Amino acid sequence: MLEIEDLNLHYGQHLALDSVSVTIAPGETVVILGANGAGKSSLLKSVARLVPSDAGSQIRLDGRLLAALPAHRIVQEGIALVPEGRGVFGDLTVEENLLLGANPPRARTDEGERRAQVYDLFPKLKERRRQAVNTMSGGEQQMVAIGRALMSNPAYLMLDEPSLGLAPVMVTELFLALDRIRKSGVALLIVEQNVRVSLSIADRGYLIEAGRIVGADTAKALLNDEAVQRAFLGKTDERG
Amino acid sequence: MLMTALIAGLVLGGTYALVAMGLTLQYGIARIMNLAYGETMITAAFAAFILQSALGLNPIADLLLIVPGGFLLSWAIYALMMRPLVTRSRDRGALEIDSILATFGLLFVIQGVLLVIFGANYMSYSYLNVPVSILGANVAANRLLALVLALAIGVTLYLLMTRTRWGTTIRAVAVAPQSAPLVGIDVNRTARFAFALGGALAAAGGVVISMYQTFTATSGVVFTMKALIVVIMGGVGNLLGALSAGLILGMVETFVATYVDPGLTLAATYGIFLALLLWRPQGLFGKAAR
Repeated sequence: MLEIEDLNLHYGQHLALDSVSVTIAPGETVVILGANGAGKSSLLKSVARLVPSDAGSQIRLDGRLLAALPAHRIVQEGIALVPEGRGVFGDLTVEENLLLGANPPRARTDEGERRAQVYDLFPKLKERRRQAVNTMSGGEQQMVAIGRALMSNPAYLMLDEPSLGLAPVMVTELFLALDRIRKSGVALLIVEQNVRVSLSIADRGYLIEAGRIVGADTAKALLNDEAVQRAFLGKTDERG
Repeated sequence: MLMTALIAGLVLGGTYALVAMGLTLQYGIARIMNLAYGETMITAAFAAFILQSALGLNPIADLLLIVPGGFLLSWAIYALMMRPLVTRSRDRGALEIDSILATFGLLFVIQGVLLVIFGANYMSYSYLNVPVSILGANVAANRLLALVLALAIGVTLYLLMTRTRWGTTIRAVAVAPQSAPLVGIDVNRTARFAFALGGALAAAGGVVISMYQTFTATSGVVFTMKALIVVIMGGVGNLLGALSAGLILGMVETFVATYVDPGLTLAATYGIFLALLLWRPQGLFGKAAR
């Protein structure tokens, strides 16, 4: 169980996250929905310890506090992040990126098996395994980023706007892959602008607005929720 | 004469390559532009001189003592002097400027200490100074050994960096330091290690140079400059670039000295540097800035 409780985050004077509480059970898929600048990315970065949360914020994994750990220790705990903009090692090859993904000690057993699984999930990566990642398309780079994260044998996989900047056909392919990852038992915490597609594979969702959680429900209920439809799904009858 | 020049060029080029690999590790991965790099080399050269003259050790045994010494010394310099700069720097650009200023000071401290101890005289020692005949050219055995050592160390390092997970994690920090924690890499630890490894290579270069060249307490600056030129020519952070650019520079210098005029070697260095920068500003193996 990944529990985020009373998470506060300041960037200087600006309060980016305001007592945010989110929980994800093992194997569950949870989507965080919100507008640009609502604090979605900050939430994932806080869990990954890439930004320091305020004192008193609690992030627990199976009861253990994560807040005391430096960023490079989080992946060893079983939480992998696919950051916004993908964060791949562009000058290195696909193979080298996957090799680095298996850098944490927890990933060393079954490394070969995991690599085979990643290539099975994204056959294109196998074809291009000796190619430098920065010569590949945005969708392929996203596959590298997800493959690299999977190589660390995560129990929880966090994805920050995975569909951003991808062609619609790539988005469909991407979420099919995420659905397969979900079914393999990895819990997903997804931050997305693409509400309809992400809710379609999710169990639950949270709504975030100006750094606060303003709603939480099952994915099904959110898809039919009037406020969600108005805000994200283009039903703009009130605002014209 | 051609064969002699060719071998002399390879020896010099191999040494340059070895030395530049260390600087490219420090600059490309730790992001520290170490202006006291040549002083690390010269300190190692003096250490080899002492071990040779006082204890009668041969330069191969020297390497086993001095290379770890260079590693530890650079590790300490990073931990004591560079770490505070890394902590306070907002970005890599600021760290580069801070490190240039700090190591510029360090250069004079080390140089001053060497001057006090050894004076300003040219030093050298005699080791394996016997001619060996290769394809009709007479070459001193110490030069051949220097070439073999430089290439062996350089190629081993290159293979370790490109063929192992350990080396790949170090290159990952050079490529995308902000992504390194996502795969469990401690960037600060890796930077400190890369800086220390660069220092170990500088020490190896110093010992190799001392086997066949004279040196003084003040000749470090020249080596820093040459190493920097090789690093930029090869592409910052690129080991293969440092290896090939080092060999090119050594060859050009030797051929100009042999066939044109020894006084023109520095001019030739800058000439080829300028020509290469006009042709490929990012260096031989460097990636164009995007």
